[in-house]
Amino acid sequence: MSERIRAAKYPKLEHFSEPNVITTTADFIFSWARSHSVFPFTYGLACCAIEMLSSGFARYDVARYGMEVFRPTPRQCDLMIVAGTVNEKMAPILRRLYDQMSEPKWVISMGACATSGGPFYDGYNVVNGVDKVVPVDVYIPGCPPRPEALFQGLLELQGKIQQFKFVPEKPAGYELFAADEAEPAEGAVTSAAEEA
Amino acid sequence: MGLVVGSNPMSMDAIAALLVERFAGDLDDVRIQEPDTIVARCAREQLRGVAARLKADAEVGYETLNWVAGVDRRTAFESVYHVYSWKTNTWMELHVELPKGKPEVDTVCDVWPAANWHEREAWDMVGIRYLGHPDLRRILLKDDFIGHPLRKDYVDLAENHPHV
Amino acid sequence: MYDHFETPEPDEAVKLALRRIEESTARGEGSEMDGLEFNEVVVNMGPQHPSTHGVLRLVVTLDGELVKDVIPVIGYLHRCKEKLAEKRTYFQYIPIVDRTEYLASINCEWGYVLAVEKLAGIRPTRRAEFIRVITGELMRIASHLVAVGTFTADLSPLGTAMVFYMFRDREQVLDLMEELTGARMMFNYFRFGGVRYDLPDGWAERCREFLKTFPAKIKEYEALVDDNAIFLQRTQGKGVITQQDVVDYGITGPNARASGVDLDLRRQRPYSVYPELEFDIITAHHGDIFDRYRVRMDEMRESLRIVEQCLDMLPKGPVQLGSLRAPYVITPPPGACYVGQENPRGEYGTYVESDGSRYPYRLKFRDPCFCNLQLFPKILSGNKIADAVAISGSIDLVLGGIDR
Repeated sequence: MSERIRAAKYPKLEHFSEPNVITTTADFIFSWARSHSVFPFTYGLACCAIEMLSSGFARYDVARYGMEVFRPTPRQCDLMIVAGTVNEKMAPILRRLYDQMSEPKWVISMGACATSGGPFYDGYNVVNGVDKVVPVDVYIPGCPPRPEALFQGLLELQGKIQQFKFVPEKPAGYELFAADEAEPAEGAVTSAAEEA
Repeated sequence: MGLVVGSNPMSMDAIAALLVERFAGDLDDVRIQEPDTIVARCAREQLRGVAARLKADAEVGYETLNWVAGVDRRTAFESVYHVYSWKTNTWMELHVELPKGKPEVDTVCDVWPAANWHEREAWDMVGIRYLGHPDLRRILLKDDFIGHPLRKDYVDLAENHPHV
Repeated sequence: MYDHFETPEPDEAVKLALRRIEESTARGEGSEMDGLEFNEVVVNMGPQHPSTHGVLRLVVTLDGELVKDVIPVIGYLHRCKEKLAEKRTYFQYIPIVDRTEYLASINCEWGYVLAVEKLAGIRPTRRAEFIRVITGELMRIASHLVAVGTFTADLSPLGTAMVFYMFRDREQVLDLMEELTGARMMFNYFRFGGVRYDLPDGWAERCREFLKTFPAKIKEYEALVDDNAIFLQRTQGKGVITQQDVVDYGITGPNARASGVDLDLRRQRPYSVYPELEFDIITAHHGDIFDRYRVRMDEMRESLRIVEQCLDMLPKGPVQLGSLRAPYVITPPPGACYVGQENPRGEYGTYVESDGSRYPYRLKFRDPCFCNLQLFPKILSGNKIADAVAISGSIDLVLGGIDR
């Protein structure tokens, strides 16, 4: 395979002779930036909100992970941490706020109540899990989860953000460099080019 | 200055005797629940008059309402009022029985302003209608909730659960 | 199910606010702000708001910057607790009571356990009574730290030194509680007849160390705010709760004590071993925001005093009735009873009605914040919107208790 294709398929950091010049893929660099400076949205509803607050303050410092910028408005956030029980009265509002966030956005469901209704699962007014209203990326169990558990969830989310592909997946049968003769051309494009 | 707790301390027996004497016919079944609560029953029609007189009484004025609860007793409903007397530092629990088919009773909002939200909650949860209430609407549940959940015959309806 | 771009229909609370505006327009009332035409606006301080301390919704009618009327809408955290009580045994319900006022969950458990013990005729052991007082007062300190901390965070844009320091010290209290009960917030510690675990080795010494170092911290907090001219200007004279309000609306706790009312259930209707302990009831005279803040700070000092006395007076003995398998399934005799307890926010009580079975027949919580919230339309009206935020922070609401 040619060098160009290898570089595209396997991203690496290549230092040239001058320092401060690094080559890598856009996926890597944007995902790295995104995952390490997430702006959480304080959607603290109930008791888990207090543990979320505790994790933001001095002892369990969420600023170590770059997430200390808790914004109260959804327009400026990309992560919604649903901490607490969601009930039928609150669910439309939850959906509205989720829709007001701009892409890319992620949702963490913190605590047993947000995951599945928790200790109030058989209440007449309780929604059994926030994933019935918004799509959830990471579930954190616990009642309430310790700040360390919240951090483990945030690290899982960082791992998930880093898998995000900035460039979309190529469709089947599409070759990256159709003009490259070193490889036997296959797929619809080259045959279409021959036909045309 | 101002509000003092227990300016007229009386023994529980003395309070019970006073209530039996002054409210003869209106307050039935006056009992003492140790250490400091009087439990009594009142008829539905007399509630408003009794409430006003209880509050205005010179020796045991029950001036503060603590809470109002609605209870579904399967054969009847009940509205329970818990009031506090600053002068004697004692409490009173007043039970008002309401018929099963027509759970309505006069409001006591003009006697005890605190009753406003408590009666709304009793309406919301148990379905007891308080006649004359300035703003009787649901307080804890969403506005289009169907039914009164704390009734014993409440069945979970699908309309109340759009998010399933 | 949802159309993301459509404005929702005004709901009952907003309709009520609009109706009231129409009525006052019909009466011919004008604007109170100079130079403004009469133009009232209904603004939603929605359930998700940094300053409402939980999912409280305030439908505010504004005339310029003046608040004309406030309609609080609650129920966004209604978790059907009173109905769940009928499906759980008395013992299974203790963890659920924890989650009512989650900042001081020991006190909520206490309010429930007192009522059930009275109904069932169970007397807790003496050592357990003292441990209950110790944990209750420690959680009172933790709860006041959060209350005052978030209140000062409201006054300034969400980041003051005060709330960071207060949460740092709250962690020390939670460390002690975690060592004792195993949990940081929802303790599930009280049992009918006692408490679950005895004090571990060395816990009393660690607690005493905390009692020695904490008064200096309280002085540190006061040094940050008490002389600050802006803080004083924003808090003195605002949001006054009169003694008539205390009587009319059933206000209890530090909110009532700040208005000069000598109301403390630990003295008025003593429970547990409080009659044997020496402590003062902190009152203030004006009933404004500053007084409520001062009452909470001084109550923390009184709690330290109580904990120290309890540690000195702690008797030996069991912490639970009977053997290790305490009465886990109890069937109180038919009857009803209500017991109130002094929560950090006021009188928290449970009305328990039993029909002789393992499950409660009716459980009703008397929540202090529910009663305090009724006062909002009265004390928020007539203030500017910024003062309204400060007043609502000083009343110290916990929506878990209001909505149950």
